[in-house]
Amino acid sequence: MIVIEDLMVKLGSFTLQVDYLEVRDKEYFVVMGPSGVGKTVFLRTLIGFIKPLKGKIIVNGRDITNEPPENRGFALVPQDYALWPHMTVYENIAYGLKARGLDSQVIREKVEWIAGILEITDILDRYPNQISGGQQQRVALARALVVEPQLVLLDEPLANLDPRLRFKARSFLRELHMKLGFTAIHVTHNIVEALYLGDRIAYMEEGVIKHISTPIEFIKSPWSKPYLDEIEPILGMLSDNR
Amino acid sequence: MLRLLKAKHGFSIIASIAASLLILFLFIPLVALFALANIGVLSEAWISDPVLAREAWLALIRTIQASLLSSFILLLVGIPTAYLFARKSFSLKTLIESIVNVPLMIPHAVAGIMVLVAYSRRGLLGFLTSGLGLAVDDSFWGIVAAMMFVSAPIAIDTIRVAIESIDPVLEMVARSLGASQFRVFMTITLPLSLRGIATGFILSWARSISEVGAILIVAYYPKTINVLVMEWFNTYGLSYAVALSIPLVLMSIALFIAVRLVLRK
Repeated sequence: MIVIEDLMVKLGSFTLQVDYLEVRDKEYFVVMGPSGVGKTVFLRTLIGFIKPLKGKIIVNGRDITNEPPENRGFALVPQDYALWPHMTVYENIAYGLKARGLDSQVIREKVEWIAGILEITDILDRYPNQISGGQQQRVALARALVVEPQLVLLDEPLANLDPRLRFKARSFLRELHMKLGFTAIHVTHNIVEALYLGDRIAYMEEGVIKHISTPIEFIKSPWSKPYLDEIEPILGMLSDNR
Repeated sequence: MLRLLKAKHGFSIIASIAASLLILFLFIPLVALFALANIGVLSEAWISDPVLAREAWLALIRTIQASLLSSFILLLVGIPTAYLFARKSFSLKTLIESIVNVPLMIPHAVAGIMVLVAYSRRGLLGFLTSGLGLAVDDSFWGIVAAMMFVSAPIAIDTIRVAIESIDPVLEMVARSLGASQFRVFMTITLPLSLRGIATGFILSWARSISEVGAILIVAYYPKTINVLVMEWFNTYGLSYAVALSIPLVLMSIALFIAVRLVLRK
């Protein structure tokens, strides 16, 4: 379980304040809000690239607030996937395992296992510029999931895909979560993505989490009002899913 | 002029004229140098006269050795410096960056004086450089130090730009996956900035080879080829200075072709 207590970050005139947040084991937790409200700052603070002014980040009872990023046991999937262009898909996925000093045979087995789940086995020897956007997204997910992190942090991972692919990738992400049961914090400005993927949704505005609930409760809350036009077409799909 | 600018291809024509004038301005001295070269003197300077040829070859080899050494040392210390400037925030950063660029702006004779008063036997750190056998006055190390001093900003700035052009998120992801800062530097930052590092090396090498002002002050002896060009110009006249200059010009053309090839890859 991830617990965030009294977290405060100041970047120039911007302030991020999270009084209390709990992400349960195997939960898919979505932080939703308009662009520029501090969602990425929140992720980068969790992962250790921005030092909070105060507060605690506790993972399974261990305070990791002052740990360097490599010791937190998290894995980041950024918006543009950030695949390393000088490495093959295999090398990209194996990177975190190598950093952990695993044996090359074990690395191979794990890479093949995750590549099988993400259906990218046939592109393992290609370079990132030789694969499609959708495949790049799967490689970024494979690279994060193969290290079996305590928390996967997804920063707008569907934003770079065209609408048709985004729909497919959303379903795929949901199936993947059901299959592997990882704990995730996914930040997005897209309400449909949040409602479809999130076990719970936190709504953020101006660096503050205003509301946390399940997707259905979110729809009933006043915070969903600005998004009603986007929500209506998917209401049926949501009730089918849950 | 305005009518020409508005005409189809007008701007291209004007740009081409401006470029042609500038290229000619740079190209004509090159042609003149080669046109003035006397094969007899060239042969005397580099082959047939044993005294002159020995002096010329020794000076050329010394210049290449010192400039290569200076550029390698700059790579070793310049890459971490460029990394810090590109990726870290620290107090007095702007001031430190400005100081690093000082050698770009000051007359090179002044740069020589600065190196001399700092690292010569009687300089500020003379006790240290003398103790380590690295005193700069009239020594090979003086040539290296003068070359390093004037070319450091070029090496650091070129490598820094290369590192800054790498999306920091590439490094963040690697850190998040369990890689230490050093591992990320070695496996992500360094390979992705290799082209910039190679360019920085070649440019700082070229700058070192061309240095004369600072070297004249710090270490007239042992002579580098640039010092020798000045000496022969004063002692034997223009044709001997030209004979010495030709290999230098050819070398600099080769270096800049190398830069273009590295950048094109």
